[in-house]
Amino acid sequence: MRELSLNVMDVAQNSVRAQASLIRIDVTESDREDNLTISISDNGCGMTDEQVQQVIDPFFTTRTTRKVGLGVPLFKLSAEQTGGSFEIRSKVGEGTVTTASYVKSSVDMTPLGDINSTVKILIQCNPDIDFVFFHSTDTGSFTLDTRELREVLEGVSLDSPSVLEWIGDFLEENTQNIYGGALS
Amino acid sequence: MTVNELKEKLDLKPLVEDDYDREVTDCYVGDLLSWVMGRAPADSAWLTVMGNINSIAVATLADCACILADCACIILVENAALDDNAREKADMHGVNILTTPMNSYKLAVEISKLI
Repeated sequence: MRELSLNVMDVAQNSVRAQASLIRIDVTESDREDNLTISISDNGCGMTDEQVQQVIDPFFTTRTTRKVGLGVPLFKLSAEQTGGSFEIRSKVGEGTVTTASYVKSSVDMTPLGDINSTVKILIQCNPDIDFVFFHSTDTGSFTLDTRELREVLEGVSLDSPSVLEWIGDFLEENTQNIYGGALS
Repeated sequence: MTVNELKEKLDLKPLVEDDYDREVTDCYVGDLLSWVMGRAPADSAWLTVMGNINSIAVATLADCACILADCACIILVENAALDDNAREKADMHGVNILTTPMNSYKLAVEISKLI
């Protein structure tokens, strides 16, 4: 994919299909440690060890259901081609954690891309699922937690235009702060 | 022009041979697999440096939909390596693979004179 945020979208959609009620997206960046790690965790139906091996294998997935496709293999490739690593931990009935770790300075590093839009679209398209988005850099961090928003909103749906606008502004403002005031 | 004729005329080295009588009607150059997947025309010679298992999957996605590539052959340019497990899968799924020391540009120029 041209942007890692598209990989995040793809994996999060797998979580939606796995009937998750809570999806957590963590993006931790550090120039000091020359690392960017993306982790997507869900409390969906989970997978057996065998199923995990299958989603990593592009042939298994393309030959049977089209549910996962090349999404996971390409996400894995994007991390490994920077000298990073990729892991899926899953337990049936508990959920799945997909973690991709990148060497940030690698010339083969794919840009993170518009992660804020990815988060916003995920919330918009799945207003009944809760999302936690955490983003950190060497400068700072922030968290968006839709469970907290729901408490304040008292029944107003997360996909209502004014709420989405607020979410967009919140993400943009906080992203600027953790990038040291400069736009990414 | 068949894969075999391309091989003879451009002195390509065969790596995996399934059906070199297959017709090549187009050529596509690209290394970003997700990009190639949606864009490489069917029956094209696909020029790339990516010799991993995912490339083989991209090249065989013919049965999925017309937007996905069903390449006549993969040509690994600049002697790019073919992974062992990729070779295995290419054998299994009938993907023609050849290699050349030429870079993508030079090879594409030569192919354009032939097809």
